Parts: sequence; C-alpha cells; structure tokens
Amino acid sequence: MNVKYYPGCSLHSTAKEYDESTKAVFSAFELDIPEVSDWNCCGATSAHSTNGQLGIALAARNLAQADAEGADLVVAPCAACYSRLKKAAHHIRRRDSIRQMSEHALDYRFSRVPEVENLLEFMHRRITAAAIERKVKQPLKLKLACYYGCLLLRPAEVTGVADPENPRMMEDIMEALGASCVRWSYRTECCGANLSLTSSRLVVAMVKPIVAAAIDAGADAIVTACPLCQANLEMRRSSSQRIPVFYFTELMGVALGLHGTRRWLARHLVSTKMVFEKLKAGVEA
Amino acid sequence: MMDSARKSGAVLVLGGGISGMQSALDLAEAGLRVYLADSAPAIGGTMARLDKTFPTNDCAMCIMSPKLVDTGRHLNVEIIPGATLLSVEGEPGAFSVRLSKKARYVDLKKCTSCGDCARACPIDRSSEFDGALGTRKAIYKMYPQATPNAYAVEKRGIPPCRAACPAGVNAQAYVALLAQGKYREALDVIYRDLPFPSVCGRVCQHPCEAACHRGRLDAPVSIMALKRTIADTVWLEGGPQLVAPTPRPEKVAVVGAGPAGLSCAYHLARKGISVTVFEKLPVPGGMMVVGIPSYRLPRDVVQKEIDVIRSLGVDIRTGQALGKDFSIKSLFEKGFSAVYVAVGAHRGRRLGVPGEDLPGVIDGVEFLRKVSLGQTVTLGARVAVVGGGNTAMDAARTAVRLGASEVTVVYRRTEQEITALPEEIEQAKEEGVRFLMLTSPQAFLGTGKLGASGRLARMECLRNELGEPDASGRRRPVPVKGSEFYLDVDTVILAVGQATDTKGLDELRLSGGTIAADPLTLETSIPGVFAGGDAVSGPGLLIQAVAAGKRAAESIVRFLDGEDLREGRTLRVPEEEIAPYEALSATKKKRAKVMCRPAGDRRQDFKEVEFALDDATAREEASRCLACGACCECLECEKVCGPGAIDHRMTDEVVELTVGSVILSPGFSLFDAAKKGEYGFGQVPNVISSIQFERMLSASGPYQGHVVRPSDHKEPKRIAFIQCVGSRDCAHASDYCSAVCCMHATKEAVIAKEHLPGVETTIFYMDVRAFGKDFERYYERAKEEYGVRYVRAMVSSVKEVNPSGNLRLRYHTESGFRTEEFDLVVLSVGFLPAADAQQVASSAGILLDEHGFPVTDPLLPVASSRPGVFVSGAFSGPKDIPETVTEASAAAACASELLSGVRHTLTRVKRYPSEREVRGQEPRVGVFVCHCGRNIGSVVNVPEVVAHACAIPGVVHADEFLYACAQDSIEKIKERIKEYGLNRVVVASCTPRTHEALFRDTLREAGLNMFLFELASIREHSSWVHRDYPVEATAKAKTLVSMAVAKARLLEPLYTVFSEIEHTALVVGGGITGMTAALSLARQGFSVHLVEKEAELGGNYRHVKIALSGENPGAYLEELIGAVMSCPDIRVYTSTEVADSVGYKGNYKTTLRSVHETLEVRHGAVVIATGATEMTPKEYGYGESDRVITQRELEEMLAKGFVPQSVAMIQCVGSRDDDHPYCSRICCTNAVKNALYIKSKRPDAKVYVFYRDMRTYGFREKYYRQAREAGVLFIRYDPDEKPRVSPRDDGVVLTAQDPAIGREVRLSVEYLVLSTGVAAGANEHLARVFKLPLNQDGFFSEAHMKLRPVDFAADGIYLAGLAHSPKLAPESVAQAKAAAIRAVTLLSKDRIESEATIAAVRERICSACGVCVSACPYEARCIDEERNVAAVREVLCQGCGACVAACPNGASVQRGFDKSQIMAMLDEALSDGITEVIRE
Repeated sequence: MNVKYYPGCSLHSTAKEYDESTKAVFSAFELDIPEVSDWNCCGATSAHSTNGQLGIALAARNLAQADAEGADLVVAPCAACYSRLKKAAHHIRRRDSIRQMSEHALDYRFSRVPEVENLLEFMHRRITAAAIERKVKQPLKLKLACYYGCLLLRPAEVTGVADPENPRMMEDIMEALGASCVRWSYRTECCGANLSLTSSRLVVAMVKPIVAAAIDAGADAIVTACPLCQANLEMRRSSSQRIPVFYFTELMGVALGLHGTRRWLARHLVSTKMVFEKLKAGVEA
Repeated sequence: MMDSARKSGAVLVLGGGISGMQSALDLAEAGLRVYLADSAPAIGGTMARLDKTFPTNDCAMCIMSPKLVDTGRHLNVEIIPGATLLSVEGEPGAFSVRLSKKARYVDLKKCTSCGDCARACPIDRSSEFDGALGTRKAIYKMYPQATPNAYAVEKRGIPPCRAACPAGVNAQAYVALLAQGKYREALDVIYRDLPFPSVCGRVCQHPCEAACHRGRLDAPVSIMALKRTIADTVWLEGGPQLVAPTPRPEKVAVVGAGPAGLSCAYHLARKGISVTVFEKLPVPGGMMVVGIPSYRLPRDVVQKEIDVIRSLGVDIRTGQALGKDFSIKSLFEKGFSAVYVAVGAHRGRRLGVPGEDLPGVIDGVEFLRKVSLGQTVTLGARVAVVGGGNTAMDAARTAVRLGASEVTVVYRRTEQEITALPEEIEQAKEEGVRFLMLTSPQAFLGTGKLGASGRLARMECLRNELGEPDASGRRRPVPVKGSEFYLDVDTVILAVGQATDTKGLDELRLSGGTIAADPLTLETSIPGVFAGGDAVSGPGLLIQAVAAGKRAAESIVRFLDGEDLREGRTLRVPEEEIAPYEALSATKKKRAKVMCRPAGDRRQDFKEVEFALDDATAREEASRCLACGACCECLECEKVCGPGAIDHRMTDEVVELTVGSVILSPGFSLFDAAKKGEYGFGQVPNVISSIQFERMLSASGPYQGHVVRPSDHKEPKRIAFIQCVGSRDCAHASDYCSAVCCMHATKEAVIAKEHLPGVETTIFYMDVRAFGKDFERYYERAKEEYGVRYVRAMVSSVKEVNPSGNLRLRYHTESGFRTEEFDLVVLSVGFLPAADAQQVASSAGILLDEHGFPVTDPLLPVASSRPGVFVSGAFSGPKDIPETVTEASAAAACASELLSGVRHTLTRVKRYPSEREVRGQEPRVGVFVCHCGRNIGSVVNVPEVVAHACAIPGVVHADEFLYACAQDSIEKIKERIKEYGLNRVVVASCTPRTHEALFRDTLREAGLNMFLFELASIREHSSWVHRDYPVEATAKAKTLVSMAVAKARLLEPLYTVFSEIEHTALVVGGGITGMTAALSLARQGFSVHLVEKEAELGGNYRHVKIALSGENPGAYLEELIGAVMSCPDIRVYTSTEVADSVGYKGNYKTTLRSVHETLEVRHGAVVIATGATEMTPKEYGYGESDRVITQRELEEMLAKGFVPQSVAMIQCVGSRDDDHPYCSRICCTNAVKNALYIKSKRPDAKVYVFYRDMRTYGFREKYYRQAREAGVLFIRYDPDEKPRVSPRDDGVVLTAQDPAIGREVRLSVEYLVLSTGVAAGANEHLARVFKLPLNQDGFFSEAHMKLRPVDFAADGIYLAGLAHSPKLAPESVAQAKAAAIRAVTLLSKDRIESEATIAAVRERICSACGVCVSACPYEARCIDEERNVAAVREVLCQGCGACVAACPNGASVQRGFDKSQIMAMLDEALSDGITEVIRE
C-alpha cells in the first residue's frame, strides 16, 4: 500500500514535536511514509468558513498531489487537516458537482480519490495495539486521560467512526504502552480551538472544564492526537491547572525508547517533568 | 366462510406476557383450547419485571401472580416455553402452525424448582431479567414466581475453545470449575476426553487459545496453563480418582505407547475393555518421553499419567516391535478382537543437499531421543539447527543445555512464518539461541578434500526472500541468486520434519509413507484394524495424536458393538454449532503471565523451565473466560439434581399444531440507551435505564429494593429522569412516542421518594403525556403532594463528575443554558418492536409498518393484515398495561367470533373419583414433610419433624420426601391415603401460593374432598428465614406442623354450589362501542338486547367526519349500523332506556322503557356502553360570537367544504382544570387532524395551536410532526396565562405569551376553535340500577385499573367506550370487543359454579343488622326479608372475608377458616416449642 503523510502547517511550525515523534514512530515500525510533495494549506483556517468551494478545493489539491504520486492512503496527524481532507474526499466521491468543481479548479482529473485516515486511526488500524505492545521497552505506568476532541470523530457519516461518542483507539494504544486510562466524560468535547484567537475568553470557558475533569479523574496527563487541541489545552487552561498535555506519539516514543523524546518534550508549555519523575519513581519502586 | 366441521377449536397465542395470558384465559374460559407459546423459559413478559404500577401504585407482581397461577394451572391452556414461530399456513378457522421448541434440558414434569442445580452451576451470566444489573446462573429460573415453575438451561452452542480442540476437551467447563476452586471436578471434566492433563497442561499447542473469543477483547484465556494448575493441584492432593468401569469381555491390542496409542487404550479401558499396548522402545510415552525435552515436560509427569492409565487395567509391554516380535495377524490369533496401530513418526527427514552424511550432521529426532534415553551424544561447540518447528527449538535448547557455546537456528523463512510457538522462540532467545532467518543450507562441507569428506566444518547457505504463499498459506522462500555465504559449524542438527518408519507395517496398505486409514473412522485396509496419530496423518500436534486415539476408541467400541462406524460423527464441529462471539461489555484484563526460571539457571540443566500458576492467579485468570457457550456442560447440575430432571442430551424440536386462529403478542424491546452516547449509558455507572431502575426498586430485584447507585452503593439524594430517550427522536429512527414513559417515570419518581424519604426527583421532559384514565391526577399528585420536579427541557449532555461519580446535566430551558448535578440519572428508554418482530411477522404472514410494528386496521387495532391472525399488546405498538389487557381480550374476542361454532370441541375436563364420606369420622391425619432438596433439609432436621408429627394426637402416619411435589411422591401420598385410611392431610413444605392447588388436587384424585388439606410452610417461614439457626428452625417447623395438624383435625369438607345462566346479553348504548359489542356477542353465538336512548344508532361517532389515518368514518358507521340491524340475534330498542333491573350474574331481569312501551328482558350479562358527551365551553367567548366554535363544529364546517383561511385552536378547554381535573385524551389528536386537513386543502391557510402539552401519544406523534412540517404553528401557554381573546365581526384577535421566543404574540384569525373536553354522560341512574360505582368525574369505575379494565367488581357486568373514560374510536372498538369476550366467558358456561371457601351465616345468632351487606364489595350479601336473617348469594361471594370481619356478633363465618380452627392453631402456637425458644 502506498501511504503518504500530510503534516499540515502546524506540524512544520508550532507542533514540530508531533511531527518528529510521528516520524520516529514510523521508523520504529520500519514504515517509510514520505510527505505528499508540494502540499498546501488544508483549508481549515478561514477558507472553509468563508468560501465552501475554496475549502474543498484547497483540500482537494492535496488529494490530487497524493493521487498523482500513486497514493492509496493519506495520513493526516492534525484533526483539522484530517477533517478537511476527509470531507473533501467524501464529497468528491459522492457528489459529481463537487468533483467537477474541484477538477475544474485544479485542472486535474482524479484517477481515484485516495483514502484519508488520521494518524491515530492509522496507527490503531494498520500498526495495531498488539504490535505496539510487543515493542514496548519501558511500560508507561501512568494514568492518562485520552482526549479526542471533536474533529477526529465527527461527523460520523464522514469519518465512518462507529462509536463517535465512545471511541477506544487512543485508549487501546495507551494501554498497549502499559498506561491505564481514566474514565472521564470529556473525551469528545470540543476544545474550541477554532475560536482560540478570535474569542479567547469563550475558549477559556470551554477548556477549563475539560482540563478540570481530567485532573479530577486522577489523570497524570492528557493525551491528544491533534496539534490544535494540544496547544489549546495548554494555552487556554487556567494557570492553576498544571497537567501536561502530550501527543500520543510522544508517549509512544517514551515507551518504545525512541530517540529524541527529550527534545520533543522540551517544547511543551506545561512542564512534563512531574510525569517523568513519577514514571521514574514507579520504575525504581 | 368455511363450515364448522373443518374448523379447529384451538387457538395459538404467541407471547406469554400479560397480554398473552389474558387472551389465553379469556379463550380458555370461553370454551376454546389454547396453546400459549413463549420464547422465554417462563411466561410473564415485561410486567413480571416491574415493581409498582401507575396510577394505583399496586405491586405489579402481586396483581399479576394470580394470573400466572390461573394460566399455569388452567386445564385448557397448554404453555409451550422456549418456542418460536416457524410458519402459519392455511386459512382462518384451520391453520397449521409450526413452532420450533428450544431444548430446555430440564424435564418440566420432574423439576421441583428446588434450585440445587443453580447453586452447583459455575457459570455466571448477566441477568437479562434484571436489566444486566445482576447475574444469574446458566441453569436458572427467570424469577421466583416463574411459570412453569421449573429451571431451564441456557446453551449458546459449543464454546470455540472446545470446538477448536481436536480431542474436544471441554475447556470452558474446566476453566469455570477452576474459577470456583473445584479442582477435582475440573480434572474429571478433562479426563472425559483426555488422559494427559498434566502433559497437555505443559506442552500442548493449544489451538483452543487461538480460537478463544476473549482474544477479540484483549488476549485469549491462558487455557493451557490453567489445565496444568488443575492437574498439578489435584496431584498434590492425591491424584485423580477415576471410577472403575464395568468390565467387558473383549480384548483389544494397541501398537505404540505414544500419545495416540495410550489415549486409545485409556478410552477403551474406561469402557471396561481390556487393552494390551505393545511398544517398540524400552519406555512407554512415545514422543512425550523421547521427543519433548524434559525441561519442558518432566519425565515423572508423563510417568504419573501413564500410571493412571495402567491403573485402569491397561497392560503396557515395552520392547515389542511390530513386524519383528509380533504381527497383526498374530494378535488376532491370540484373541484380540481389534487392533489399533499408532506407531508414530520417529524417523527424521533429510534435506537432500550434499554433505548430509558427514559426521557431525545429525538428525534432530534421533538427537532428542538419544538425549532422552540417556545415550551419549557428541556435540561440537558451534551448533546449527536447521528448521523452524518445535523440534528445532527443542534441539537448539537441548544443545544449549549440553554445553554448546554457540547455537544458531537456521530457518528459510521469517519469524512470521515459523511454526514454533512464540513463547518457545522467546525462551530460546533468552537462553542465548541465535536465529538466522531467510537462510537455506545448500551444502555441508567437511574438513577433508573439497569439503566432501572429513568432519563437518562449515555450512554453505543461501539467502532467501519471500515469494507468493504456498499450500500452507505461508509465503514461500525464494532463493536470492548469488547470495551464498558460509557458516562455520561443528554440528548441524536437522529438524526439518519427521516421517513414519514403515518397517514392519507391510501387512497394512500404505499411502505416501503413512498408513492409509479413513480420516473419520480410522479404519485401515484390514477389518478390525484401525490406525491413527502421526503414523497416519504425518507429524502433527500432540493433541491431534491424543484426539486420534479417542476417535479410534470410539470406532473400536462401535466395531465391537456391531454399530455403524460413521453415524452422527464429524471430523470437526460444524461452524453453525459454535457459540458466536457476544459483544459483552467485559472490562479488559491482562492475561496471566506464566513465570519461568531465570535463563541463566535453566541453561545449566534439564529441570522444568515454567512454573505453574498459583491458585489465586489461576482463579483470576479463569475468571477472564467469557463463558461463550453459556452452559459449559460440566454436568455439576446433573450430579446434584435429586429428582433427576436434568438431561443435557435433549434436542430442539418442531411442534406442529392445528388451530383455528392465531394471536400474536410477543411484546416489545427497549431502545438501547448506549446509542445516545451523550448520556453516557453503558460507560458511566450511575446512568441507568428505566427498566434497570424498576429492577432496583423491586424487592425481588438484584438490589432487594434498595435504591442505591451502582458505582458506590450509596443512596442518591438527587435523581434525574430524562424522558424520550429513543422516542420522538428522528435521528434514531424511533420518531413515534412510546406512550408510557411519562407516567412510568412519574411513578418511578414517586416510588423513589417512598423508598428514600427526602430524595429529590426531577423529570426532564418535552411534553408530559398523562392522557390515560386518572393519569392527570397522578401527575398532579406527583407534583403537588410528592414534590416531583418537572423541567421542560431536553438534556444535551450528561458528564460524570470525579471523584464523586455524580452526573452533570446540561440542558436548555426557555431561560437559557443551565448545568445541574445529580447523583443518579435514569433514562426513560423508548419502546421498539420486539427483537424478533420481523421473524414473527414473516412466519405469521403479516405485514409490518415503517416502524417495524404490525400493520393493523385503523378502527380495529387488533386485526393484522392477515384474516384470522390477531395482534395485541406492545407488539402492535407502545402501550400501557390496561390497554394491553383490553387488546388481549379484544383479540380473544375476534378469535372467539371466528370459532364460535367449535366452542368446547377440544377442551378437556378432568374426571375425579367420587368423594369418600368423612363426616363424623375420627380425624386420621397424614403428615408429609418435604426436604425440598437442600432448601429445607439442610437447615431443618426433617426426621426430627417427622418423629414429632407422629406423636401429635390424630396423626396416624408421617413420612418425609426429598421432594413432596415430585410425581412419584404425589403417587405415594395417594397410596398412603388409601393404605392408612387418612381423612386429613398435612404437607409441611414450601408455600401454599405455588403448591396448595397441586396437593389439593392429589386429595381429589385419592377420593378425598380437597379442602381436607392443610399446608405448613416450613421453607418460607422457617428454613429460608432462619438459615443460620438450624435448632430453632427445627423447633419452629415442629410448631408449624402442630398448628397445621390442629387445624386439619377440625377441617370439614366444603362444596361448591351451581346456578343456571340466561345465555343472553344486554348492551346499553348504541354508539360504535355498543354496536361493536353487540355484534361481537352475536357472532360468538349469543343473542343480544341492544338499548339506545336516542332515536337512531351511532352515538358520538356520527359527528366524526374527517379521517386521521385512512379510515372512512361515514362509511364505517353506515356499515356497522347495517350489520347490527340485519343481525338476527340482535334485538335493537331505540328511544329506549333501562328503567330498572334485578338479579345478579347469569340471571338478570331488566325493565326497558320507551315512550310507547315498558317491557322486561331476561339476560345473563350486561355491557355498559353509554358513551359520554362533548363539554360545552364556558370561556373564550364561546356562545357570544359565531367566530368562536368547537372542534366538532369546525369538523362539520370542514366536512361541508368550507375551509377557513386562518384559525387558532386552544387546547385543554374544559380539561385539566379545577372543574375537570383529567385529560380528555382525544383533543390533541383531533386538533392535529383538523389542522392537517385545513393545510391539505389550503396550504396557505394559517393555523395556530395553543397548547399546554401536546399529547399525541404513540404513533399519533407522526401527525403532530406532519402538522409542524406543514406549517401549523404550535404555541405553548401556561394555565396561569391563557391566551386572551377578543372576538370581532370578521374573526378573533388573540394575544398570548410565547415562551419559546419570550415575547407576546398577537394574532388575528378568521375562527377561534376550542378543543373542548369530554364530559361524562348522565350515568347516575344506570349506576343505581346496576349498583355500579362511578369515579369522581362521573365515569364508571372498572374492577381494577390495570388488569380488569372492562370488568366491574361485580361479575356479569362489563364496561366499554367513553363511559369508561375519554378515548379515541379505535380504542373504544377494542374495548367493546374486550367487554364482549368477558361476557362470553360467563355466557358460554352451562351453569355458574360458586367458590367453596365462602361466607356462611349462623342464622341462630344473626340479628339482620345489615353490616355484612354494606361490607360486601361483590353484592354477595343481602337480607332475607321474609326470615329476617342475613343471607349469602353463594355464586357471587369471592370469599374475601370482609363481612366476617365486619359482623358484630360472629354470625358471619368463613368456610375453611372457622374460628374454632384458628383458635386451635393459636393454642398450638402458644403451648409448645416455639415460645420456649423465644424465652431462651
């Protein structure tokens, strides 16, 4: 299967640690997944809310690039990118008018529209928790709050997720790493990231209960699979809430003993030290 | 219509809930035979699961269990449990029906319901009856009062582990028994199929684990390790003890003492056959001792298990080679009747490359054998093992232990394709074995010239890459050209496969190097000679060899018995018999890890590497089993079942019946609340469904009636109810209203407050639909009296709050978003079609609608799309209990109409011997004390009670039974009655509730009057309640027996009396209800007097002009009147009223009066169908302006073709107010109907509906939605803030507050339409004439709101239609039919029989004061004016005893409960044992 990686802008800027940890995990499983060449904005910024066609066309161009390179599957680590690409692929496949519009705009004819998966889904489905478990060097004796947010799962008609209110993908992977996952009710709440800059007060009100619930549930850390969620949860929490927020790939890196973890974690806004002290104490005890 | 001769007088009722029971009882009482089939093991349906019922707060089980008992004991109702419908063929009157009846595995006739089996059962299953809040066993009784009162076994198929095991070892059973710590029982289960538990607990390839369904959830159960723990534990406790078989004369020879041979010998020996085993090697055990290294399988382990086989009488002779020391022929000559050849595959294969013969290249099998037998093997320092199977691993690890410094496994494919078990590879790596993958040896080179001679020095290898999959499904290695390289080695061990040494096998036909044998039966070319194991199949797994031995033994036994070798045998379990994976919500749990000795230690020696799991770990691991098969067939229940009722060999069967009609009432299913993920059901423990809450409230439920939270078992302080979960919800495909949830939640909120004083209950709702009789009052009481809080809001999310476990609800009200915390959330889940509705419908040949409910006639809701097939209850749509019961009777009426000509043709009557005269005789009491299995006997000392009974005066015989109610005990009781001339019988056992009728019947069968019986309840009243106090319990049991005997001595025979019946009915009221009832009665064969006070028939329905769902009201009414008028059995009296009536059930004389004449009619039953009237509005300017009209007037106007351009409707005019505190039920539907009609005629017309709660219950919700979609505007108003109305000449102006937008609206419309309520008619006169009760609203009061909705308390008079309460036309029609069959249950009898235990009068001391008359609720007491004493109308008396208690001077007495009898019991109670115990 020909798989291409669509990092999106975040992973080349604010979420470099997500990008690096993802690539480290890929190579740990001997997966050679190159980026879609000459990729562009996915349309998740202002495009899709101001001009629907532009929103589709931007995403479609990335799919076209991947298709031209023979890709069967495009993996997107960012939930917003995933949502845009997935939606574009969904509509192009189902609606002739949208396909025509896209093909006209891009001056390109799709031979077939590649499948789109988010990184979490990809690792869960293609690598599998069992294979991950076999590679664990240092079991993560941590209590984690897995946080999906909204766009990884919804709308279910587009994402094809069977259980949008009660997903298990991240828990499966974290448990394979040796962690225990807390039960909490805010896993699929929206963090408000798309309003983070325009209505930050509103977003603070949205983030606070999410982070509070994770702390109340006894979690050592929150785990995400989206650069917007990660940044938002760290930036918009109240200053008294000091729970670190990880990318799931970072924790895979830790448990699998991959190189570069320190460098990734140094970029976090909330110190991850506490967690690692606990982990170390657990190992020694 | 077919002639009566071909019709069948039987009816099939499918579904035994309250609906099915009611239909069955009505039909059986009306002279038809009934088959009552239910898919569950017991009848009772959903009502059995409920705690209380609204609006009376009656206990559901208390009011239902008499029906259960009546149904269960009715001579003409045959209950068929576990049945599903297969087909219905034929035509109305003569259907042939096929049912599939699931095997119960328990004989209903033998089971005494003692419950010993369930206590022995190791399998816990989630209890569907308790809504998964509790568990039950795989053998179970659904609920304590279950009918039939017997256990049933749940089997889901062969568990996948057992199906995957070649030897069919019952893994689920031994794992389950292990989980309970029953090691010995577990080992016995293994020994049924396998003589090597210890061996296979260590070295099996465990295909069971690969098949284990648990693997889909996390990881398979560690079945092999558990088997080892079982075997090791039992060995520590003295080893297995196998039952010695009965010897048989035949001798069988087995050639080869490996696993295949010994397994065969074992199974033959267990059948008593004497077996001699011949083995070539000096030791028995085959590959178990010469193949598998002892660090994996210690020799003493094998030895012990071989010794067990020997202990069964198997003679093993070693050093005996076939073809050398003996031949097959010689064996037959020596008198062996059959021979089994299992010589294995002990010869190693070769690679076929140059240099294989060099010294230093050795064979793996031979290598292992030599090491095992203690022979010398020379190894170099550098050893290469070629191969990737378990032999390769064994050879490599053995080489390590022999001191080789460098051991390399060379394999041509990758680790993915390797056949050795992953744990083997892992352990080899830990011990330092290196793996060289994708490598094939090309040649072995020696130290000599050109490498072709001398000692082995190096190996030439070639690299491979993987190509296409080969026959084994693994990818084929393809050599890479030019990739040759060399490996320096001193020794090469070839482990590339094994073959059978065919020397000495020349008597048998061979094929491809193995013995040719039939794969299924293992027969060879010689009759009587069988062969199996590796010698037949080529090298295989140990467990396959063992399986072959077992299969050979089966063939040999069949051969010896002269039976067919093939019949009923298959090589593997067919896929459809394997239990499917159940997506259970089990929590993930790590698989137990088997511990090993440290690698450094184990490299040094051949001591066992792996440790057994300890007891705690093993039991924890065993508890991970998902119990896929449900029943595991461990047979523990069979062991403990005293009456021998359990039979695991039962099979499903097909039952064929001939019936005249079919009634379908299989019930409904509930919406799965987990589908609304935002409420957290299934994830968050303190969010439960309404049925779970019901079970929580129930005293017999999993929480014994304690309302506590599942998470911490703490009492909640705030409970929230969320309505419409899966109802009125287009997103989840159940867009209709479930009709009962509003009241159900209200009741739960009220009852919760009774359980937990001070608890706050809040109901979140869209509309409160309290539309049934007395529902609105109940709702108001819930609010006002109980303080239940109602919040009109839909909850958008439920979040769990940590660590309290509370729930945070977010909802939107008219004043914005709110969040609020609760301790417990109850989801009012909606009704869905029955899970098997589709299958039932296609089998019955009826159509379903878009929701999956049956298509029914718009005016006769019990008529399905197929004539002769009727539907009722929640199967045909969501409804509450009274409507269900009404429909059940209506369906019975329809069937009874169809079969009126064949009534009493198939009913049975039981004949009894004539009764012995006992009056005036000395009491001769027989006492029978029951052990009830262990229920009584394990607490109460039964022999002591028997001895005590013997000494009581009047007792001439006492005895004990293990089960007094078992059939053989019943026979014994009858014999003893004759033998000892007993004239009174006392049974000391369980409870009269379930067993009194049985024992009374026994007396009748023995020729005694059945009332000469007394039951002492020493189970419920002693052993169960004093379980921990056996001495005191025994003393109390003795006292209870003394009391029973004291009463029994004074018992007198009781008799019933009979009275004649006038087989005619009087129907009062000529609307559609009265006419329908009259027609139904006539069609059922009874003549009718139909009285209507108006000049013409038709009643209120004459005003219905517009249809709601496809009916044609005018045509329907015309047709109905025509049918009534032309019916020869109906005499119609118009402009006539009932003036007076005397008499009672069966015999009435009623005076009818019209302007012209007064006449008297005689009849046996009465149906009251007098209807009701439209309320005349007193508000909104009605009567002052012709622009203000009622719905009825609007309908007339529309029917005339005038459609206004704009109308506003106001709901609840004259309903739900202080003067009329009830809901008129029909007005919301009527408003929607007329609004839709206006919109259909004039789409641009403006229609506004001002409402309080839209009560378009059930499927009427669809029309409400259609109206909104059509643009009708619905505006809510509060009763405190009604719309203000100003009529003008050209219309009406309304102003009102619209809560949805929070602003005042002002509308101007052409007409204002008032949705006026339904008012009771002038019923007082009729109530007086027939002495019938009216409720506070002036409607007639039925006997019981839930279960007797069309009966009056006084038998013989029935009720239907609007006279009962407001309702829509189809509901009135159903009620009319129901009333008709209720009357037929009376009229169809030849004569009326009274009860026996009824009131009587001691006339000598009666002063005729009349207190008894007013105390009697059944009109059974009266004053005999001539003799001036009170009298009893015996056929009416129900034996309630109210008059006896009321009588001031003791003149009223209750037969069977005489004062002298009661005093005698009290004397006993206060004189002996028990008081002393209390004093101590």
